[in-house]
Amino acid sequence: MILHVSRVALALTLILVAAVARAGDVSVDLAPDPKNPPAPQMGDNILFRSVIRNGGPTTVDGVIGWLSLVQIDPGAEQPVDLEDWSAHKAVTATALKPGETLVAEWPLRLIQSGNYRVVVSVVSRDGGGIATSPFADFEVREKPVVESTRVLPVAVGLPLLIVAALLWRRKAA
Amino acid sequence: MNPILLIASKESGELLLSTRGLACLLAMAVVLSGFGLLLVGDTELSLLDNAQVVYDMAGIVTALGALLALVVGVDTVAGERERGSLVPLLLTPVSRDSILLGKLGGVAIAWVAMYGLAAPYLWAVGSTGQNLVDGLAAVALLGTPVVLGFGFLGIGLGACLAMARTGLLIGLIALVLAASPLLLGPSLRQSAIGRAFDAVNPFSAAVNAYDAVIIDSVPIATQMLNLGTTAVWLALALWFARTSFHRVAR
Repeated sequence: MILHVSRVALALTLILVAAVARAGDVSVDLAPDPKNPPAPQMGDNILFRSVIRNGGPTTVDGVIGWLSLVQIDPGAEQPVDLEDWSAHKAVTATALKPGETLVAEWPLRLIQSGNYRVVVSVVSRDGGGIATSPFADFEVREKPVVESTRVLPVAVGLPLLIVAALLWRRKAA
Repeated sequence: MNPILLIASKESGELLLSTRGLACLLAMAVVLSGFGLLLVGDTELSLLDNAQVVYDMAGIVTALGALLALVVGVDTVAGERERGSLVPLLLTPVSRDSILLGKLGGVAIAWVAMYGLAAPYLWAVGSTGQNLVDGLAAVALLGTPVVLGFGFLGIGLGACLAMARTGLLIGLIALVLAASPLLLGPSLRQSAIGRAFDAVNPFSAAVNAYDAVIIDSVPIATQMLNLGTTAVWLALALWFARTSFHRVAR
């Protein structure tokens, strides 16, 4: 019984080592665009660039890389649905030859204020593991969506204007 | 002066210059102000919510415009009948169609006034977000046939019913039913009944077009089907108003 368990454990270890080795062939770098605003706020567009590189000796087939965005504010930690932030969610390559790179750009439109972290993950068709880029953190400053300086004059002024017209009308009558 | 223009200017003058008409516009302005002030205090809005705000405001403006047009439409015939001024108007040497066109013009001017009132509100809540201009264009293009249709429905109801109150009640029920997409979420409208209702409801057509143009940034030129639905509604309401008005005997 003990011998059987040991064999299973050895087999699992070998599979895991193989998977890590396969994932290790592909590396990913991620960096923000130097033109990104230094202190971005809601509504700004920023860009990240990733470079997926096959550092192994064999061709890696069916490469898929994708961007993940998470909010890391204390008490509000959550994955963010990219639907509203970016139309560019994944990059694919049929094959990545040894030494070949796949460059991808990830534009983001900043929708909500907060602290965020992006990471690019890569898997291949036959690989058993996942390669991830270094994290890139950024903060989005709040921007008033509905500006009181615009709403208040209209919301107060227009009814007052009509009231004035009403009073003038009554006086004229 | 052309009798059509004369009647239209008299109808619009009653709205824009009379105490009753100004009180109506004040009520509309207070509703829009209340909505705007509610938004100012909300600090949790995201940029997406800004588009949602413009979309909501566009829907409210269309509903208020339809309400105003309905009230004006019912009052323009049934109100005149109750005030005793309809018979003298019908006895003037002016064709029924000319009188009706003048009254339709009055409804149209009421909507122009409502749109003019709403534009600053839409700008105030939406100028920092996306698709404000497209939103204004969508309200003008798709909201106008919906609103005018309710005005013409009001004229038709006012013409074929003896009492203005009855016409107003029926018209309000129709308006509440048509404007239900403003209250019901998209998921509730995904049932077979909901989809069927959406397909024939001009208000749904307008609201769906607002959604596409303002929130999803779809070009307004792609909304021809929705525009067609609202145009059919306008044509049917116009036919109803004309038929009913031609049957007015007293």
